[in-house]
Amino acid sequence: MAAALAQLTSHGTDRRAAADAFRTRHHGGVIGYIGADVPVEYITAAGLLPLRLSGSPGTPSTDGDRYLGTGLDPAARSVLTRLLAGDFGPLDGIVVSRDCEASLRLFYALRELRRVDPALALPPVHLVDVLHLPHRTTTRYVRAKFGQLRATVETWAGRPIDDRALADAITAHDRLRELLTRVAALRRSQPARLTGAQTLTVVAATTVLPVERATALLEELLTEADHLPAHEGVRVFLTGSPHDTVHVYDALEDSGLLVVGEDHDWGDLLSLRRTAAPTEAALAERYQYNGPSAPRASIRARAEHTRSAARECGAQALVSYARVHDDAPGWDYPAQREATGLPSVLLNRQPYGALGEEAAEALAELTRTTQPTGPRARAEAAR
Amino acid sequence: MSAARLASASAATAHQRQWFADLREEVADGGPLALVNADAPQEIFRAMGIPYVVNQWWSSIVTAKRRAQDYLGLLRERGYPDDSEQYSSIPLASAFDPDPANAPWGGLPRPTIVLAETTGDASRKIFDIWDTQPGVSFYPLESAAENDVPARWWELMPRDWERAVGSDRLDLMTGELEGLIRFLEQTTGRVFSETRFTEVMALVNEQQEWNRRTRDLIARARPCPLPVNDSIPSVMIPQWHRGTAWARDAARAFHDEVAERVSTGTSVCPEERARLMWIGRGLWFDLDFYRRFEESHGAVFVWSMYLAIAADGYLRYGDDPLRALAARFAAFSDQLYTPPWSAEWYVKEARHHGVDGVVHLVSEDARGSYFTTRALKAAGIPVLELHADNVDTRSADGDTLTRTVGDWLDRHVLAGD
Ligand code: SF4
Ligand code: SF4
Repeated sequence: MAAALAQLTSHGTDRRAAADAFRTRHHGGVIGYIGADVPVEYITAAGLLPLRLSGSPGTPSTDGDRYLGTGLDPAARSVLTRLLAGDFGPLDGIVVSRDCEASLRLFYALRELRRVDPALALPPVHLVDVLHLPHRTTTRYVRAKFGQLRATVETWAGRPIDDRALADAITAHDRLRELLTRVAALRRSQPARLTGAQTLTVVAATTVLPVERATALLEELLTEADHLPAHEGVRVFLTGSPHDTVHVYDALEDSGLLVVGEDHDWGDLLSLRRTAAPTEAALAERYQYNGPSAPRASIRARAEHTRSAARECGAQALVSYARVHDDAPGWDYPAQREATGLPSVLLNRQPYGALGEEAAEALAELTRTTQPTGPRARAEAAR
Repeated sequence: MSAARLASASAATAHQRQWFADLREEVADGGPLALVNADAPQEIFRAMGIPYVVNQWWSSIVTAKRRAQDYLGLLRERGYPDDSEQYSSIPLASAFDPDPANAPWGGLPRPTIVLAETTGDASRKIFDIWDTQPGVSFYPLESAAENDVPARWWELMPRDWERAVGSDRLDLMTGELEGLIRFLEQTTGRVFSETRFTEVMALVNEQQEWNRRTRDLIARARPCPLPVNDSIPSVMIPQWHRGTAWARDAARAFHDEVAERVSTGTSVCPEERARLMWIGRGLWFDLDFYRRFEESHGAVFVWSMYLAIAADGYLRYGDDPLRALAARFAAFSDQLYTPPWSAEWYVKEARHHGVDGVVHLVSEDARGSYFTTRALKAAGIPVLELHADNVDTRSADGDTLTRTVGDWLDRHVLAGD
């Protein structure tokens, strides 16, 4: 495997390594965050490392289940379990966004646990309530929330964030987004140079590394692109729940699909929108209009985005994967199916990090009715 | 002396019938109609004379008439989930009813505007679908959340709501409500009068003050003067009509009726040995359940959230009525479901009512339940958690549920008697 891809894959999988290295060099300074609506620019600008927290599908989420109840998205229950177990190493703070209901409940649980059970020694927690209605009233509110977050991060860092550093951080994270978009193009190309699983892992790596390091590795990866092997499969666009681990992508691609694009924020959606200027006003708008994600956007906005993104990817089919207790995707699906006009399947109430039994059948049916592309497939079809 | 049905409950139910019939006529003549979520600000519609139906109330009517499954089927036919947010989505299915003439109460007329906060992940999607129906507009409101809040909200809310809710949320919702007023002025041609609106807000506060007195009466009364589920229509129907003189007077009539019972010593269960609190939504499929432990254990349910949240959750005074309205709704459900507010409030209410134990119905969608149970236990109050998934199956076999509660009463509530 190419060197940059290997390093990125390693960081996307062992999500603690970069934070541990950073902690050693800087004597701490790692801030855990939950949800793509957290403006990591403030954390970077304060000289701290933003580490996006993820769950672990194979591990029982006993503590998370106790505090959150079993009726909530299992990914959030897993993150809480891991936080309580210290899986992410020592954190100097946690920033939670309102990217979905489960994140908000997770924030409330952390806040209350800190209040009633100090013995747990949880790090300080801050909610950044980024909202998304397309109105000026919402922009004003998001700006106020960013002001609040800035003050909290300054307290955690023990020094003020100067405007110059913030502008630089905005520029740096936008540069990262631009590179991610170019990396995403590698799996859209025909033939694809990256699989969906590889791309997801690369994106995940950029949410644990310092932004400069992530940028450098992506640049390197792009120079290696011509030497990457070609991948084949039925080209599908994946909608529905977000994926904080690679398990489901692996399962999908093992069954002959190639995930060429998605509309969740551990994937393409993370880098879709740029910041119009290196200012706080533009940053607030960037996060307000970020999306459209399933739990926050209207059915109409989602369907329109899915249609155009699936077309840009050259997708042959649409797969909606809805995790158990993730309620939004099921409501979006009928309009998405109609808007894309692609052969499609809804995999409902799926277990965390896996495909249910019926899912495999539905996917096999989808694969039968959709022709894979690529030289090998064409050769097979000709035989 | 045992208690007959409350006259205020019968009066409220009769009023509701007449009101709905009148509303259907008004809308048939081409007037506007709003469908409004329960936790969204309705007072603006009241002040502008735009009739409205509360989404969750209509849902309860459909359910009571045993049509919920038909309606969920209509959603399923269109590819929509039938297993998510049913309480909000059932009224949407009314729009697809092939036989509206046979719908409950003559059917829900088609609204011209739907208003809801964008709470949760899916509830706004239901209103997105409303928005695609001919002649219907969805006006969404943000549902905002605060990083840090003072715990004892019930002391602050009536007058010091700015501090309890936080200025950012209030700025946001006030701005959104100004937009709503302009939208309604333009689409209905009706007028928003600040004077009229101030009157509406004053009537709401008067009504909730009556509810507060009633709650306090019941909290102090020994023995308990009325069964807990009997108070629900007397509180909730006027709540849907808040901002009218009728509703204010209905709340007062309910109060007077309870006061009368207290003074004559009317009781649910004269041999009251244990006072119980019921936390969670009502057990609609088995309302008699609440009374099942009176003869066997002398145990009486004295508390449910409906009267208590009316008493503590709505009062908002202040010189700026629109901001006061924003303060009523910008954090409404936090009062019931978000710790520390929810947890501390249940403890305060448990103490206020002198309860000996709490039965806590924990739904699968358990918002803050762990922390509520924990806070009550930390305050020394026995709690029995019933999990909704087993309650639904147990209801087929009501005996098991009865036995569970009975055992808990014997072991944890009455053991020290
Ligand atoms: S990316 Fe950073 S942490 Fe990872 S191997 Fe390279 S220098 Fe070390
Ligand atoms: S890459 Fe930069 S921020 Fe990260 S450890 Fe090295 S010097 Fe520190």
